[in-house]
Amino acid sequence: MFTEWSDLLLLPLVALIIFLFWASLTPFETLGWWAGWFGNAIYHDTALNEAQEGANVQKTRPSQPSTAFVLFLSGIGRVSGQTLSYREQGFLDRLRQRLPGAVVIDNIFPYSVNNLALTGQPIFAGLWQWALRRKLEGPALAGYLINTRNLLQVAIAADKRYGPIYNQAMAEVMLDTVMRYDFDPESETPIFLIGYSGAGQIAIGAVTYLREWTKAPIYVISLGGIFSSDPGLLVANHVFHLWGTRDKAQIWRFLMPGRWSWIATSEWNRALRQGRATIIRMDGMGHTGRGGYLDRNPPAEGERSNIDRTVEIISAIIEQADHPEHIPRIG
Amino acid sequence: MSLRLDPSVYVLLQDRAEGLRYACLIVLLAGISESLGQSVVLFLNRVRPQRFVLALSISTASHLVGYLLWTLTIWSVGSLLSGAEQSWSAVAVVVGLAYAPQVFAFFELTPYLGNLIWGILSLWSMVAIILALHYGLNMEPWQALLVSALGWMVMQALRRTVGLPILCFRSWLQRRAAGVPLVVKPDDVPHLRRHRRPNWYEQLELRRRSVRLPPVRKKRKPTDEQTHVHRME
Repeated sequence: MFTEWSDLLLLPLVALIIFLFWASLTPFETLGWWAGWFGNAIYHDTALNEAQEGANVQKTRPSQPSTAFVLFLSGIGRVSGQTLSYREQGFLDRLRQRLPGAVVIDNIFPYSVNNLALTGQPIFAGLWQWALRRKLEGPALAGYLINTRNLLQVAIAADKRYGPIYNQAMAEVMLDTVMRYDFDPESETPIFLIGYSGAGQIAIGAVTYLREWTKAPIYVISLGGIFSSDPGLLVANHVFHLWGTRDKAQIWRFLMPGRWSWIATSEWNRALRQGRATIIRMDGMGHTGRGGYLDRNPPAEGERSNIDRTVEIISAIIEQADHPEHIPRIG
Repeated sequence: MSLRLDPSVYVLLQDRAEGLRYACLIVLLAGISESLGQSVVLFLNRVRPQRFVLALSISTASHLVGYLLWTLTIWSVGSLLSGAEQSWSAVAVVVGLAYAPQVFAFFELTPYLGNLIWGILSLWSMVAIILALHYGLNMEPWQALLVSALGWMVMQALRRTVGLPILCFRSWLQRRAAGVPLVVKPDDVPHLRRHRRPNWYEQLELRRRSVRLPPVRKKRKPTDEQTHVHRME
C-alpha cells in the first residue's frame, strides 16, 4: 500500500513521533509536582555533602560573613548535583580560589523540580543509570538521552504554559540550596546565578520568584546561556550574557522570537535598552569542549587559556556587579 | 491511510459496517488524545490522580457527543445544500475519518512547540474534513468547503444558543468529576503562586529529604600508573 517516498520517510517519521511522544510526556513531571502528586520534598544528596565537607570545601564561618552567594547551574549534561565534567570542576575550583569571600555552590541539579537526581528517580532510575554509564564509558550516543531529557526541561522552563510553574519549583530549590549554606533571605548579601548553556534559561526564569522571597540583590550571569525573552530579565538586578564569538549553540536563540532584535517590546530588548542586561563578547570562545568557555589549554603558545579568561570576567562581575560599567570588556 | 488523507480510504470504508467501527475508534482515540492535550488545566487546579482519570473520561465522552453533533450538522447542511439524500452513517464514517489528525492532539503538550503543533493540527484537520467530504460524499471541492464552513458556523451558533444548557451541563459534570473547584484558567499561570506567605521558606527545613546516591564518577586512582597517561581534555 505504501508508495516509495512514504517508505523512505517512514523511519524519520517514526523517530519524530517517538520523540514527540516523549516530549509530550515530560511536562507531567512539572505539572504533577504542582498538583502535589509527588509531595513537597526537596531532595539533596547526603553522600555529596559529606564528601564536600570531607574535602573541606568552604562553608561560611560565622566570624567571616560571606560577600556573595554564587550558585552555579550546570549545562544539560548533568544527571545529579554532582558534576560530570572535569572542566566544570576546574572552573569551580578556580572561581573559589579567586573569590575566597564568596560561597560557590554547585551541588544543585537544575533540571528537576525537586532537585532529585535522575539516577534517584522512582521508576526510571535504572534507565538513567544505564545512560550515565554509557555516557562515561561509551558509546556516547546513549548518553545523549540525558542531554535530550534535560533540554526538554529547558523547553519547559521557556514555555509560557509550564514555565511559571517550573521556574517556581527551581526558585524553591535554589533558595533551599543557598539557605543550607547559611544564606539569610533578610540580608543584603547578593546572589549570583551562573547559568551555563541551557541553565541560562533556568537561572533567568527563577529570578522572578526568588525576588519575591528575598531582599538580596540577584544577578544572573549567563555563560553561553540559551534563554528566551523571560520576564525574569527585567526582574534581575542585572543580567550579564557572556557570548563566545565561536559559540555555535547561540543559534538556538533564533527559536525564541523575543530574542529577535526587531521585536522591540520583548523583555530581552527592553532589558538591553534599559541597561539592565549586558552582552560581554568572549573572543574566539566556543560553547563547550575544546575551545569552549572552560577549556584549560591555551589556544596558542603563550596565550591565556579560555577558562582563565572566563574566571577573570566572572569574578570581575561578582566583585563589581553594582557598577556594571566598570567591568572590563576584554573577553 | 486516513492520516495521510489518502482519498481511497473514504470510498473503501464508507459503505461497510466496519467503516463505522473504524471511524468510532479514530474518534475515541482522538478524544482521549485531545483530552490529555487539554489536561493542563486539571493539573493547575491540583486535581487528585483518581479524579484526573475520571475528568479525562468525561472530557473524552463529551468529545464523542461533539462528534455526533458535528456529524449531524454536516449531514443536515449537506443535504439541504446539495438536495441529494446522503445516508447518515456514510456522513458519520467520513466525518469520523477526518478526525484522524486529532489523534496527535496529545502532542500539543510538547514544551515550547505546543502552539506550533496545535496550528499544524488545526490546519491538517480542516484539510482532512474538506477532502473527506470531497472524496467520501462525492461533493465538488467548493461544495465541500462551503458545507464545512457553514457546518462550523451552525455549530458556533448552536453553542451560543440552544447548546448553552448542554455546555453548562458539561462543565458542571467536569467540576463534579474534578473534585476541586476549577477556578484557575491557563491564562492565570503567570500569577500563580505556590506560597501565599512571603516567609514560607521558614519551613524549608521540614521539607528537606536526604537521599544517598552512588558517586557519579568514580574517584581517580592516585597511583603512579596514571601519571604517564595523557588525558585528553
